[in-house]
Amino acid sequence: MDHMVFEVGVAVLLIALAGFLSAKLRFSVVPFYILAGMAVGPHAPHFGLIDLRFIHSAELINFMGRLGVIFLLFYLGLEFSVGRLAKAGKSIAIGGTIYIGINFTLGLLFGFLCGFPVLETLVIAGITTISSSAIVAKVLVDLKRTANPETEMILGIIMFEDVFLAVYLSILSGLLLSGATTLGGVLLSAGIALGYMLLVLIVGRLLVPVLNKILGVSSNEIFLTTIFAMLFMVAGFSETIHVAEAIGALLVGLVLAETKHMHRIEKAILPFRDFFGALFFFSFGLTIDPLSLKGNAVWLAIGAVVLTIIGNYTAGMLAGRSGKLSPKASSNVGLTIVSRGEFSIIMANLGAAGGLMAILQPFAAIYVLILAVLGPFLTKESAMVHRIVSKMIPMKARSSGDKLQ
Amino acid sequence: MSVIRETDLPGIGRKFLMDTEEGDRFIVIVHEDGKREMFCPSPVEPEELMRVVTLTDTEARQLGGIVGGMNYQPTALEKAEHTLDHLSIEWYKLRRGARAIGRSIGELKIRENTGTVVIASIESAHKQTISPGPEYVLGEGMTLVLAGERQNIQTLKRMLEVGEA
Repeated sequence: MDHMVFEVGVAVLLIALAGFLSAKLRFSVVPFYILAGMAVGPHAPHFGLIDLRFIHSAELINFMGRLGVIFLLFYLGLEFSVGRLAKAGKSIAIGGTIYIGINFTLGLLFGFLCGFPVLETLVIAGITTISSSAIVAKVLVDLKRTANPETEMILGIIMFEDVFLAVYLSILSGLLLSGATTLGGVLLSAGIALGYMLLVLIVGRLLVPVLNKILGVSSNEIFLTTIFAMLFMVAGFSETIHVAEAIGALLVGLVLAETKHMHRIEKAILPFRDFFGALFFFSFGLTIDPLSLKGNAVWLAIGAVVLTIIGNYTAGMLAGRSGKLSPKASSNVGLTIVSRGEFSIIMANLGAAGGLMAILQPFAAIYVLILAVLGPFLTKESAMVHRIVSKMIPMKARSSGDKLQ
Repeated sequence: MSVIRETDLPGIGRKFLMDTEEGDRFIVIVHEDGKREMFCPSPVEPEELMRVVTLTDTEARQLGGIVGGMNYQPTALEKAEHTLDHLSIEWYKLRRGARAIGRSIGELKIRENTGTVVIASIESAHKQTISPGPEYVLGEGMTLVLAGERQNIQTLKRMLEVGEA
């Protein structure tokens, strides 16, 4: 207990080092945070003051990681303006539906075929369906593809996935956290969750004028504490009625996005999201013993990776064609959205909170580690992949073209 | 004026696509962090985009000032606008789609309606009419030299373009 601050300091140092390493290698930072967390833990050595086992501080780090999820989802809600969504509406609906349709189905099939029970399968499908917005946006900027025509479609699909994530997380949290076993109980808890969400959104909307006035304070301190009070109160209360904290945070974000102080909130919250978000990925890694990563979890993850790449590539080609993109641009769509990261980990974490099979976490960790690294690589080399694939199946494309005539 | 297409790029910023009168395509990305990137189609492979330049926020403002002519007025334009108190002379090019195309100066009642006069019309590099009469018919691509009070010239330009004063 005495060295708590020091222990947390060591953890943050590891996180910072992982960050430096990822910047140096020009990779997404998420897998590095997870790896840093996995490298230490109860199995690691300790030298005097520097205790890499993090036994005393594990609980505290875990709690800060929980806050990280709250901030991540709150920020997602903030960014998510209803107006923007309505404007993008139709253009994102088609590509997004194709993407979710193919990949969510594949995820469910994968879970069932590997013999998982229903709830585990639902979590697995969630893990494998949601792309990493952060990695995708970063890769597009890094590769100077922001101006490309397919980029609009990619970001549209990502936006659609975010909506899907919000809805799916709330349904799943209702199922997992309520512990309901009968069909009636499940429906009831899902109904409560849905009603609660609507209530928060409607009341929140009515409160916007009041919030505008309250948040108009010039003091940054009062501003921030007010936001935090709302965020933690709603998120914490959600937990008591079996709606995931993350969903509560998302709802507060959605409500506050409608106020005129949206940008000030965003600016104020960003450092917290980054700091506690990093701790979340680290603490997720901390729960995984690298020595346990063998056998099933690894094979499952590799199988899921292969399935994800095929599913995303197909969805990209179809969505691209529906959006009248060139075949090359379409293949860019599929190969860009394969990156996985923060949201898959949040899904796996929800599974852990619901007391599901322990294999989900190492599975998600390996899956994300592979796709967070392989995804950006495939994006970069999309031209080459497209050449290879079109060489492998040129006959198919031509014969289907013949049929159309 | 060219039409500029704006698109939101959630998580990245905003995209502006402009097809210029000369037929060039030009794309500007304004990143959320303030960075600007400009792209144009690659001369080798028109389907691919080529990055022309990346600018910081400050540089983009500087460039905006230069392109907008805030520091330096091109000589052609300097000559095009002489202002004596409120009186000014302006060059105005009739673009495709302008309402006034095909109608005569008399028909449009330019002097009666706006209090300005057309002192010359440049039809092409070699052909021009000095002090065109009321029977003079306006055509696409002509450059009119307009004289009058600045405010009235604005009214006239609006009239020529959309048909109402």
